[in-house]
Amino acid sequence: MLKRLQGILKKEFRELLRDPLYLTFALIVPVIIIILMGYGLILDVKNIAVSFIDYDRSQLSREYRYAFTNSEYFRFYKLIDSYSEAEELIQSGVCRIVVVIPAGFSKNLYEGKKTDVQVLIDGSFPMRAEVMKGYTAAINNQFNEKLLKSLAWKAGFSKTNLLLGVETRAWYNPALESKNFILPGEVVTTLMFYSVLLASLIVVREKESGSIFNLYCSPVKPWEIVFGKAIPYIVITFVTYLIFFVLTVGLFKTKFTGSFVVLTLATVIYLACTVGVGVLISIIAKSQITAMLIAFLATVIPSFIYSGYFSPVTSMSEIGQFISKTIPATYFMIIVRGIYLKGFGLESFLSDLLALCIYGVMVYGIAILAFRKRIK
Amino acid sequence: MRILSLIKKEMLHLIRDKALVFILFWAFTGAVYTSGSGFTMEVKNFPTIIFDMSKSKESRELISRFQKPYFKIISFVENDRELIEWLDSGKASMAIVIPPDFVRKIDKMEGKIQIIIDGTMSLSATVAVAYVTEIIYDYGLEILERKMGVTGKFLENLPIIEQKTRIEFNPNVLSSWFMSMLEYFNMITMVSLLVTAAQMVREKEYGTIEQLLVTPVRNWEIFISKIIPTLVAIAIFSPITLFGIIKGIFGVPLRGNIFFFYAVMLFYAFTISSLGLAISTVAKNLAQAMMLMLVILIPMLFLSGAWTPPESMHPLMQYLSLISPMRYFIDFGYSVLFKGNGITYVWHDILGIILIGLVLFAFSSYQFKRSFSK
Repeated sequence: MLKRLQGILKKEFRELLRDPLYLTFALIVPVIIIILMGYGLILDVKNIAVSFIDYDRSQLSREYRYAFTNSEYFRFYKLIDSYSEAEELIQSGVCRIVVVIPAGFSKNLYEGKKTDVQVLIDGSFPMRAEVMKGYTAAINNQFNEKLLKSLAWKAGFSKTNLLLGVETRAWYNPALESKNFILPGEVVTTLMFYSVLLASLIVVREKESGSIFNLYCSPVKPWEIVFGKAIPYIVITFVTYLIFFVLTVGLFKTKFTGSFVVLTLATVIYLACTVGVGVLISIIAKSQITAMLIAFLATVIPSFIYSGYFSPVTSMSEIGQFISKTIPATYFMIIVRGIYLKGFGLESFLSDLLALCIYGVMVYGIAILAFRKRIK
Repeated sequence: MRILSLIKKEMLHLIRDKALVFILFWAFTGAVYTSGSGFTMEVKNFPTIIFDMSKSKESRELISRFQKPYFKIISFVENDRELIEWLDSGKASMAIVIPPDFVRKIDKMEGKIQIIIDGTMSLSATVAVAYVTEIIYDYGLEILERKMGVTGKFLENLPIIEQKTRIEFNPNVLSSWFMSMLEYFNMITMVSLLVTAAQMVREKEYGTIEQLLVTPVRNWEIFISKIIPTLVAIAIFSPITLFGIIKGIFGVPLRGNIFFFYAVMLFYAFTISSLGLAISTVAKNLAQAMMLMLVILIPMLFLSGAWTPPESMHPLMQYLSLISPMRYFIDFGYSVLFKGNGITYVWHDILGIILIGLVLFAFSSYQFKRSFSK
């Protein structure tokens, strides 16, 4: 029984080694991707061009403007005179944000009255708009507090704090750097689409070339074919994982606090799942083109947006939460972040590991059932 | 008229593959719909726990401000151990800690609230903290005003600056507007790249390319005939996506000129198809082509400016992104469809798309000629 499996494994490995160009591609491509994404994918909103309309032109309004441009988030672009100019800047995308300071800004404040400041934000990228809004609100609050304090001083108050203070601590990633969450996430997503894609052609290719008939008329069982096809690709993707680990921790200096052994164990299960998905696609599809398209559509975008990479799964709608449960990356994401950033041991994500195992059993089960040794 | 029969042949290839047609249909309908409705970057139902050590009227009042849709208070914890457990397990992403002497501190005007946030998703963490800070700040202001009202020692009306924020083009900051369009742009890119390259490589794998070469057709005719069916498919499905899903279901106001968008969009599909052809002239089989497409497609999709703000990118990456046609298309697409801009704002994007397309098409022809003239 195992002898036949060995035979298939031998054949598959030999086929892989015979196309050294492909093998080189298979090892280099994910490395290029992770390096490009590691340097390129930055979600921090920084260095945003801001313009001002200052109808007040006073000492205080200038201080208010400086409060913006002195932060690392905003970069002074221009002082403009009219709304039409502001609209123009936002319309063209040159400026993402314009702050309008009204006439009588300082007069009102000195007289102890409230005053309004208008902020125009380009909403074409909603998340960025949200973050910018948060930044401007924070800058405004700080300015207000300073203002109140100085007025309180004059009125004879000597308290250091007038308003409720907020003390924020970010656990697991104290500086809230996106680098620390991008790279472990990148490991999860890249391993997912890359291994599914690699495996998605292996059966359907033989269907197209007709060599599948050799398998049909041989005594091998479907499960032997499925595992015989999957294992060599699990091995290749595992080598990729090792390279990824060295790159993320060595080159990108991502925080790594957990255990390498546990991570490796979880990765093997994960890769078995993803390669299994690829084999399943390959068994179901009738042509290489359909197999490839299904694999691309089902993995590339979903692994990024539904796995909890960019935003917590709990924030998604029901459809989103449902899809996120159907991709292995969701479970692995929790494990990888837990190990990289939180330094957890095996016991804290046993349920996710179990979910991956069940996932794997299901995928291989369906694949074996779907593989029929007969011609329609 | 040779080219017409070639195009007919290619169209038949595409239509006859029922599964392929169905996948294309799904790409332009189902995929766009699920991305728009399923995924959100908004901080919504942010799982929050509260550690209220003060248990006072004031603390309850403050807690009542943390409400849906932004926050979802999933538990009240009683001690540090519980708090750590919730955060560690990832079930809660934020904890709000109110100190025991909260009321006394408020009286002395030095109240302080602690927020502990899970930093593993830095972007939503930043936004969530901004919301919380805003709520606490407003509450603090209210207390201050109340106090001043009673004692009357301070100024009646506090001199503060109120920000009136207007988010243009997407006033409610809906990520469904952004995501559905992004997915549509992604699908145009993926479909034109994958289908064109795969059709060409298949011809190579089967050896039928030799048959084409012995006929009197020219190289560029072969290429055009490979590109046209993809463009036709995109052109047919796009109205369903644009009007049925993006506008119909998600209610995105399509402000721009649709015909203008269409023309450039099809040229963009041509550019990406040419990229697919260029890949197919280099690759020997589909597996190789797939690897090449992957290494080009992934950075193109995610470094297009839709995820990473171009302003925050490394300068080197900014230059590198200049060779990506998708960067121009994303800029063009949002600018025209979303902001309703005309050609004056997007001519440089169009120029980029056309130039890259022509270069790629010329490269493929040259490469094709070279590899088959031997």
